[in-house]
Amino acid sequence: MFSYEFMRRAMIAILIISPLFGMVGTMIVQKKMAYFSDALGHSALTGIAVGVICGIGNTTISMMIFAVCFALLLNYISRKGLSSSDTLISVFASCATALGLAILSRGGNFSNYSALLVGDVLSISWVEIFELIGLFFLILVFWWISINRLTAISIHPTLAKSRSISVRVMEDAFAVLVALLVMLSVRWVGILLINALLILPAASSRNISTNFREYTYFSMIFSLFSGVVGLTVSYFTDMATGPMIVIVASVIYFATYIYGKDRA
Amino acid sequence: MKKNNKFGFVIGMFVVITILALALIYISQGAKTRDADLLIMTSTNPVHIATLNVTKDVDGITVENLSQPTTGCLHDYTLTTEDMKKLSKADALVVSGHGMEGYLQDVIDSYPELTIIDASESAMDYALGSFADVDFDSLQAAFEENSHIWMSPALYDGQVDTIAQALAKLDGDNADKYLDNAANYIVSMQTGLDSLAAYEKLNGKNVAILHAAFEYTAIDLGANVVADMDLDEERMVSAGEVSEFIDSIQDNDVQIVLAEYDYGHDMGELIEEQTDAKVVYLETLVHGSYDMDSYVEVLNKNYSLIAQ
Repeated sequence: MFSYEFMRRAMIAILIISPLFGMVGTMIVQKKMAYFSDALGHSALTGIAVGVICGIGNTTISMMIFAVCFALLLNYISRKGLSSSDTLISVFASCATALGLAILSRGGNFSNYSALLVGDVLSISWVEIFELIGLFFLILVFWWISINRLTAISIHPTLAKSRSISVRVMEDAFAVLVALLVMLSVRWVGILLINALLILPAASSRNISTNFREYTYFSMIFSLFSGVVGLTVSYFTDMATGPMIVIVASVIYFATYIYGKDRA
Repeated sequence: MKKNNKFGFVIGMFVVITILALALIYISQGAKTRDADLLIMTSTNPVHIATLNVTKDVDGITVENLSQPTTGCLHDYTLTTEDMKKLSKADALVVSGHGMEGYLQDVIDSYPELTIIDASESAMDYALGSFADVDFDSLQAAFEENSHIWMSPALYDGQVDTIAQALAKLDGDNADKYLDNAANYIVSMQTGLDSLAAYEKLNGKNVAILHAAFEYTAIDLGANVVADMDLDEERMVSAGEVSEFIDSIQDNDVQIVLAEYDYGHDMGELIEEQTDAKVVYLETLVHGSYDMDSYVEVLNKNYSLIAQ
């Protein structure tokens, strides 16, 4: 299987992306941000549309810029408390998706972008792998510096504020990080599945973990295992890679759910 | 819950999933690509049929088609792992070209050593130099923008010739066989295609199309395309587009609309309800599996449906 260059690249990409997804996913599940990351995934279409309109050749850049602005704006409006966060996120996600679809489908050209819906990790290039490695270290450093503060905020924001933790800055920084992770991975994982990869390993880990350390490690292990098994099975069975990874992650979720439920 | 139990459960779960994955892999293992002196991959059914005919009775050559999409058009098709495996062993990839294969740049980047045979490369020049009874101005105008070039028999002849010339360069020992096969196949197509009744029905008439591929069918049969809407599963049409399309049909006295059933049926029913035009559902040769004679059979079936 590794005699093929594309499989070596795909496996390296999976080994980089999946632990990141497992790690970041824990905080997304903990902070009940599943809708948020889903909305970010869908905003990829608008990011591309903005890039097309502005004539930006590399649409990954426009996707990242748009997603960062989108995430910060969403946080800003959520803080105003004018409406519940799930409603706001749903409104933003729908609006962004519709805007992207409307612009990209103009003249019947949407088929040029539809591959983004399911992603294709097999066509990842070395340059793109190096971009993911850069992101990997960025997230690792951020995690090392901020994990305690993020955990405190996720448990009790007011208490965290009283301990001189800048809740707003930390929330915005985490949102930007999730935006960058989603946008750099969406081409390989697909808009339809990226949220499943962020949420499932963390949710599975939560079913059986008793402390935050376990929660993080199990989530990373589940994510890594799903990625490697999913890619291997897809290679031998000729099924799409992204969906196969999600199927493995789903099996893990249901198994841990049953195990955790019996012992609760 | 006890920690040891938990880790035991996780390891057990991984073992069970791994066994299930191995079972799935074992069950799904099918026939493998056989070893050959020369492995030629093709990207779409039309060029696959062309290549099968060009390489007919040549020893030591295997022609395989990439996985074909069961729905939609080829522009946005994504290669499967099986495709990537086959491409890594292939000597050449024959593509229809002219922008049809959206994934082509990825293939070129991944396999810089792979010979790409672009069947569209000299298709227009070949058609222009032929004695085909077709409006060459319309054909050239369509060729500029429309990548479904195999739907024009004149251009398809050019694709067959381009493939033969490229294979002759790649495998010099069998060069004569490729060129002879191509010439024979082109002659058999020219004698086998029966478009006269359809030509008499559409020549000089205005038609509308619900799939870009049928622009070439219309040109081939001497019809004028006065309205077009390229429908596939991802095409979102606006109310303005539909009304403009229907107005064009009525204003230009269009009697026949050419469409593909899967994606044009709903719109076809609407058009038949709103206008006097009849919608004829044709094939594009993109989906399904075909044999060496399929090109002539499918086009004749299309002509027969139009003639009715």
